[in-house]
Amino acid sequence: MVLYKHYGILVIVSLMWMTSCSSPFVENNMIEEIAPVVFWSVDKGAEGKLKISTLVPPLIQEEKRLLSKEVDLLKQGGKEFNLIYYQELKQGQLRMLLINEELAKEGGIEKLINTLMIDPDISMRVYLLVVRGDFDEYIKNQLTKQENQEYYLYRMLQHYEKHNQGEMSIVNIHQFMKKLYSPFKDPFLPVFHSDKNNFNYIGTALFQKDKEVMVIQDVEDEIFQLLDNDHFLKILAIPKLSISLGRIRSNVRMKLSRDYSSLSLQVRLNGRIEEYHGENNIQKEEQLEQLIHEIEVYLEEQTSDLLKRMQQWKVDPLEIGTYSLKPFSKEITDEQWMEYWENMKINVDYDIKLYPLINVERLL
Amino acid sequence: MKSLYNRTSTFDGIYFLLLINRTQMHYYVLIMPVYLVHSYMIWGIVVMGLLSQLNVMLLSKWFTSSYAAKGYQGFLQLFGKRMVQVFAIFGFLIILLKISILSLGYVEMLHSFIYPSMDKKWLILVILLISLYVASHGMEKTLRFVVIAFLCGAWILIVFIPFFFPPIANYRDLYPLIPTEWSGQSWQGLLFIWSAYSGSVYLAFMVPWLSSNKKITKYLVIGNMLTIIEYLLLFIATILFYGSSFLSKINFPVVYMGSYIETNALDRIDYILISFHMFNYVFDISILLLCFYGAIRVIMSKMNERTTRIGLLSSWFVILISIILMNQWLWQSVPGQKLLLNIQSCLGGFIYLLVPTILYTAVKRKESM
Repeated sequence: MVLYKHYGILVIVSLMWMTSCSSPFVENNMIEEIAPVVFWSVDKGAEGKLKISTLVPPLIQEEKRLLSKEVDLLKQGGKEFNLIYYQELKQGQLRMLLINEELAKEGGIEKLINTLMIDPDISMRVYLLVVRGDFDEYIKNQLTKQENQEYYLYRMLQHYEKHNQGEMSIVNIHQFMKKLYSPFKDPFLPVFHSDKNNFNYIGTALFQKDKEVMVIQDVEDEIFQLLDNDHFLKILAIPKLSISLGRIRSNVRMKLSRDYSSLSLQVRLNGRIEEYHGENNIQKEEQLEQLIHEIEVYLEEQTSDLLKRMQQWKVDPLEIGTYSLKPFSKEITDEQWMEYWENMKINVDYDIKLYPLINVERLL
Repeated sequence: MKSLYNRTSTFDGIYFLLLINRTQMHYYVLIMPVYLVHSYMIWGIVVMGLLSQLNVMLLSKWFTSSYAAKGYQGFLQLFGKRMVQVFAIFGFLIILLKISILSLGYVEMLHSFIYPSMDKKWLILVILLISLYVASHGMEKTLRFVVIAFLCGAWILIVFIPFFFPPIANYRDLYPLIPTEWSGQSWQGLLFIWSAYSGSVYLAFMVPWLSSNKKITKYLVIGNMLTIIEYLLLFIATILFYGSSFLSKINFPVVYMGSYIETNALDRIDYILISFHMFNYVFDISILLLCFYGAIRVIMSKMNERTTRIGLLSSWFVILISIILMNQWLWQSVPGQKLLLNIQSCLGGFIYLLVPTILYTAVKRKESM
């Protein structure tokens, strides 16, 4: 019995031997010797190349530099950075991939994102962003103005992702790829505008496969958040009617007709009136109802327009096609669905319940 | 030296529950979603699980028979020495293949997620050394190790609960729930599920250490039920997370799902999950190692002699060499890997079908004579 304990020693000895002798662990993660990358920014380079850039070092107290390289492949970029910078770049802490809009419009970003997705070192929660303008210019300019700008950018995305408050469409690799590979779904990504001094959210880019075809902004983007993405908006400002609605929760019901020729979309909104600059006296019940009706009509028009544009571009980011799936019958194909979707009559109906933050005089 | 196959006490019902459950949860479970893909395979899991339930009931008849409790002598009385040796030769090959695929599968996972730049042979060596260490404590202690394997493995399911809720889950991804077309791949999926359930068949040869009172059927059934639930939870979670068409493109869906759960404190939950899975694999491999050594002893008709350290070590070496060769020749290429997995799932399914029936009929025949 005593002798059997030697197996334990055998295990330990061979482990020690392995670590010292032939060093099978090639990975070296000494914190002084590595530079974990927080973001990759990918742009179109000359002659079909990719221009990728990142900030180093993101973590250590040291002066930061923006490294930029023109390469054919993403991973090749990572390697070439190592040759021009004294620390080894590690991708395990990658948090964001910024893709230039030109590249996204060209199509083919699937390969790029797939490269990151299949790498077990990289989390599937990496945020994807489309950037209009020059992000490198912006981050270079911010280097001296604000420390850790890229980290705060990441925190901002995380903040809006976590609580789904409807300000932005936040998309990570997994969500994008799931929509890309599944039938009846089309991916979307947030679009940010960037110039020397600013970096701000514009709207949502809708994709046909992996090619950006349209960008929706302002009210349309807000409607998009209500219809599918978040089902919640903190603020919905309608300048045309001089009104701001707040804390809006939506309840969406979609109904496809049996032959897929029409769709009835019922949206119920609950919220409050937070600001009003118009002529109506919303203390009077009658006039308040008049106003609510106007909002309903306005939103119905906007939503119909938005859906029409989606039909024109043959995209279905709202995943309306999945409503054609039934538990006990054969599904239609993606192509068939697109044909139906293009020619579908859409009937939008809003039902809005609002309460003003002031007392309303009842009629009785 | 004390014999490896000594027994001082017998285990009661709860051990049956854990044993049957743990021997059914291993490598297959982690790659099963890729083979099943379509959501209607949920019914496949349920149907196969219920069939396995019948099989388990047949097994429990064997457990309670007087021959089983006698161990090797019981087998001799039932089949005669020649037959038992022939069976042992089959068992030798089947166990060798099973250990190899289990270790290669786990090592592959370790290799692709945690140690991508390490030579796989080291990982194979380490996992086998640990199993040898466990096995060297003898059958009784290895069987007791199932408690640790269960405690380390079962909680992992809790981690997958968030995948059942929006925004990650969209229940329309599960539709359609009935098969709209049926192909060879679907049959293969069913075979795969069946062979995943087959792990429990090895319990038939461990009866001397387990108690053989009448009430064990209940525990066996509950253990098998638990496995069905675990399979279902994992499979439905993967379907909800990926959707069918995306799922077919991923090699280790369950592990990637583990890495998707991020907390502020811990980024790489998948590392933790893979490490905890190791207990289960070590348990499986060391039990099979002891069975393997036992089979060799039966073949060489040395059942009446004492077990030796050299004997255990040399059977361990046979396994090590076979795994390394298999890795070199077959596992590293995609067709080779497919071939191995297909052979294993066919064999596994086959013996799960045969062993309980043969044992049951043999006992019935003897009793009626």
